[in-house]
Amino acid sequence: MAAYIIRRVIWTVPVVLLVILVTFLLMRQIEGNPFRKTERAVPAAVQENLERKFKLDKPWYVQYAQYVKGVVTLDLGPSLVLRDRSVNDIVKEQFPRSIELGLYAFGWAVLFGVPAGIVAALRPNSRFDYGAMLFSNVGFALPNFLVATLLIYYVSLKWGLLPTSGWESWKHKLLPSLTLGLVPMAYFARLVRGTMLETLQADYVRTAKAKGLRWRRVVGVHVLRNSLIPVVTAAAPLLGYIITGSFIVENIFAVPGIGRYYVTAVSARDYSVVMGLTVLLSIIVILANLLVDVLYGILDPRTREART
Amino acid sequence: MRLRVPMLVAVAVVAVVAMVLAVGCGSDGDNNTAGEPGQPAASQVLKMAWGAEPPSLDPGLATDTTSSNVLLNIMDPLVRLGDDLEPAPALAESWDVNGKVVTFHLRDDGRWTNGDPVTARDFEYAWKRTLDPKLAADYAYQLYGIVGAEAYNNAKPAQAASLREKVGVKAIDDRTLQVTLTSPQPWFVQQAAHHSFLAVHRPTVEGHGTKWTEAKNIVTNGAFKLADWKHDASITLVKNEEWRDADKVALQRVEGRIIVDGTTRVQAFEAGEVDALDGGGLPPADMPRLKQLAEYEKYPALGTYYYGFNLKNIPDINQRRAMALAIDRQSIIDNVAQADQIPATGMVPQGMPGFEVIEQDFLPTRSDIEKAREFMGKAEVAENAKHKITLFYNDAPGHKEIAVAVQAMWKDIGIDVTIKAQEWAQFLEFLGPPPSDAVYVYRLGWIADYGDPMNFLELWTSQSGNNNSRFANAAYDQLIEQARNTPDDEARYELYREAEAMLTGPEGELPFMPIYWYTYTNLERASVKDSFEINPLDQFDLSKVVIEEA
Repeated sequence: MAAYIIRRVIWTVPVVLLVILVTFLLMRQIEGNPFRKTERAVPAAVQENLERKFKLDKPWYVQYAQYVKGVVTLDLGPSLVLRDRSVNDIVKEQFPRSIELGLYAFGWAVLFGVPAGIVAALRPNSRFDYGAMLFSNVGFALPNFLVATLLIYYVSLKWGLLPTSGWESWKHKLLPSLTLGLVPMAYFARLVRGTMLETLQADYVRTAKAKGLRWRRVVGVHVLRNSLIPVVTAAAPLLGYIITGSFIVENIFAVPGIGRYYVTAVSARDYSVVMGLTVLLSIIVILANLLVDVLYGILDPRTREART
Repeated sequence: MRLRVPMLVAVAVVAVVAMVLAVGCGSDGDNNTAGEPGQPAASQVLKMAWGAEPPSLDPGLATDTTSSNVLLNIMDPLVRLGDDLEPAPALAESWDVNGKVVTFHLRDDGRWTNGDPVTARDFEYAWKRTLDPKLAADYAYQLYGIVGAEAYNNAKPAQAASLREKVGVKAIDDRTLQVTLTSPQPWFVQQAAHHSFLAVHRPTVEGHGTKWTEAKNIVTNGAFKLADWKHDASITLVKNEEWRDADKVALQRVEGRIIVDGTTRVQAFEAGEVDALDGGGLPPADMPRLKQLAEYEKYPALGTYYYGFNLKNIPDINQRRAMALAIDRQSIIDNVAQADQIPATGMVPQGMPGFEVIEQDFLPTRSDIEKAREFMGKAEVAENAKHKITLFYNDAPGHKEIAVAVQAMWKDIGIDVTIKAQEWAQFLEFLGPPPSDAVYVYRLGWIADYGDPMNFLELWTSQSGNNNSRFANAAYDQLIEQARNTPDDEARYELYREAEAMLTGPEGELPFMPIYWYTYTNLERASVKDSFEINPLDQFDLSKVVIEEA
């Protein structure tokens, strides 16, 4: 297992290098001048000064090498647009908020999605089951900008229960995290219900029941453990959803995270911010996948042998 | 046993509902001290929404409206502009203009927040710093009207030091700042109200590097102090009790939230979380509803929204005349743009000093299809007419709807328009100058940097980086150059009138057609509506705001 983890971690390095290269080349491919933000033309002298300052006057491979060196020394460079701040500043100040938002969203999913799926499976075709599945379908189908708009309209404007936007107290955090957590919640509910139903039919469950094991123990130990494997597998791709979803949710709820920066940085051609955030997010996705694979091995010993 | 799990879920659901309800019942603790309506309220705390995170609060590096408005409230400019755009004394108590030499006389009670006096040397340092090629300031060119400024900004490292000495800004003594210009620019004193001309506190700038603008480091000299700046979240200003005119400032505190999304900003206002927006624009889709609100406010802006013609692709002046006459400007404003804009009949916007002299009456506010068809007929006779054209716009809210309306209007004179959207940064590259050959017509706008028609008319000189129409006319260039050297207002406005006529008059070449002159729209609670004012350059002065009892 340890060897497997080490091998995977080492593989992260070429993957990140490739991510940097591809992002770097893609950003340079799209037209646009990072220093021309409005219709106002930039005088040649100003353009030259800026390019010199941000080392954009060097050949692309030199810029790439410098950037890689920066990543290795954990210096993601200055933002081309937010002139008083470096990418490190932005990440340090704003990334924790995005992580917080993502974790809460995930929390909603685990807290409500998983139990809903379990109950629905234990009492299939009951009213609760239909209700949970209807909710799941709707939650899955609604785009998050619509959910956000509806929640703000009713909860904040009509009923005045929660603030419309911002990220200060827990009151501010409820709606954005719920919006972002809705799809994972719906997904978990479906997934858990499906796998539970399958597991409940399994021979070993019948055997356990026949042996006279208490039902609670059968469900808690045998059924749940085996039903949760797909949930763990699904967690990593859901992380991708949460990241991209946060781009929109952070913008609508004025959450000062990095998600919405990502979008604005691309349109502003803020090369270093786009690069920095891409590298950061790809490392997170890679690590999350690694974590899932390790957990997978713990939950299902059969998968361990294939790797060692 | 089997009931236990649903029970848990039920308990959890009940708990969440109870929590939400508890929040709803909590009171906000408003201090409703009874007072007469219209009288200053006991609590002078303004809650407002800023439309963006300021990209920089360094006067040398700031380029956008949000940064500019934060800066102009925490720093004292030499002069301030009122609604009439006349410069009024601020940190400079007076000034003399002698041809190309402008001398500002500073007040003796200007103080930095650390107690240091504000001197003419601070201005000399700040302006030369902005021009320093190593700082690489985007807006260095705002100072190019000063002699030697452009050369220094353009300097190679070896000559920088000697060129720095030649820049025409000099502190004669602590309170006298002498500026030498490249030509007598009568608008220069006005221009000094722009944030690029603010002073900075040298020890702070040099001591903290790029971090000097953080709330914990910054040293300012204006009516308010930057108490807190949570990036992308909030900006808190508090009254500067040591400021020279502090006894005239009512507001004690300005709690600003940064809300980028237009709809969210409006919702925060409607939920009562903020009492004023920063004039950064309301979502076009919501305009019909918002205009009905008592809190809706509009201000004239110095800005022109126009469609440019690529003269290479639409070479016939009669076709351009036909196209400019065929569109119904008032209808576009009433039915599409909907923000109470003014139909534009020229490049120089209404409200600009000298407008009454410069104004042309060739272009109508309503469409004149008869005349348009007549002109189109002439173009057809000359076999120059283009019937299949493209119209490019940038993909931001509102532009598409106008393009579709114009497309329909041009169909009436036999022109088939394909409209194409592009993302902003790409769009700008695409327009050049010179513009791509794929462009026949493009959308753009111009918002004033300072209140003189020069700022609009010099766009169409042949060397201008903002002339995307391939319009080049030596007589026009000469006229603009002559105006630049004409300090007398009346004589200069006369030259501007000639220039405007060469663009949009009856014999004008129409390198573009104006559509509307901008307005700034805002939402302001009744308690601040009287005192919160946005001037035609999109600046607001919080030191004038008084919260009244509603």
